[in-house]
Amino acid sequence: MSAKIRTQEEIAARVKALESMLIEQGIMTTQAIDRMVEIYEHEVGPQLGAKVVAKAWSDPQFKARLVEDASEACKELGISGLQGEDMVVVENTDTVHNIIVCTLCSCYPWPVLGLPPNWYKDPQYRAAITREPRKVLGDSFDFTVPEDVEVRVWDSSSEMRYWVLPQRPAGTQGWSEEQLADLVTRDSMIGVGPVAAAAS
Amino acid sequence: MTGAATLPGPYASPEALGESRRQVEELVCGLPGADPSQMGFQFPWEIRAFAMAVAAHQALRFDWPQFQGALIASIQGWENGNAERGEVPWSYYEHWVAALETVMATQCVLEPNVLDEKVQRVLAEPPNRNHHEAHTEPIAIDPARSPKRHGA
Repeated sequence: MSAKIRTQEEIAARVKALESMLIEQGIMTTQAIDRMVEIYEHEVGPQLGAKVVAKAWSDPQFKARLVEDASEACKELGISGLQGEDMVVVENTDTVHNIIVCTLCSCYPWPVLGLPPNWYKDPQYRAAITREPRKVLGDSFDFTVPEDVEVRVWDSSSEMRYWVLPQRPAGTQGWSEEQLADLVTRDSMIGVGPVAAAAS
Repeated sequence: MTGAATLPGPYASPEALGESRRQVEELVCGLPGADPSQMGFQFPWEIRAFAMAVAAHQALRFDWPQFQGALIASIQGWENGNAERGEVPWSYYEHWVAALETVMATQCVLEPNVLDEKVQRVLAEPPNRNHHEAHTEPIAIDPARSPKRHGA
């Protein structure tokens, strides 16, 4: 290997080029690589989103800063890694439920949420979630948003990446941030699933 | 369109993933640097490169020690050259990529010059080239279908 310093961008481009050449030659398929990635996808990236959500639930001032400027607020917790891209947190309330998608590719705040799940890249998810969000949540994720709650779908791009601040579940008064973080699921931060219920 | 109905559900059972994982771990446990603390992935390209090497091994059925040898050689090259100069920072998966390139060239499925050209083309494209501007409003809104029931 040539002894030169490669930037993250250069090495990522090299891997992408290598992948497309091996696929063009029929040696492997994207699906075969995806299957292998699936095994480890939960181990990519720091997956710090749950920690951020738990802090926002516990500290109203932090929550205000997070909703105002997520990139800056995450830096307070030592979380960075998005290069020049803005991260925006959209907050679920009693009247609004948020979902994220990337309609054209798979833009995703991976330094906070880890690697995107396979279905996030699926053209069917990307198209259907903007057309019939409630139906997709129900049919594909077995998740129902109450009729009296508005559903908003946010399109992430390479310039601005969204993620969802779910609502704090009932019955968690007095819980520590660590306990709360255990309730936060990846899907709840994408907006396609609930946070775990507090066990009584 | 009825895309929603045909979306994949949970896309792999934990049991199936566990079995695949055991197979992969059996494969990688003899590699240099394969201790669990070093196997973690920090960047998406790392897991892509990792997955590609295993997929290539399964597809082409080359002897795994070939990959192992290439990985050791790349790491040794770094140690020999870098110990004095300290210029190139350590990245385990860069060696993984280099080893994969070596093995693919040996298998005659990769021409290094062609790869270099392709890399330049990838770098010349803006990332997600059609998706570069920020979208600051929701792309879709499905309003509440009934008014909020106060005190419900």
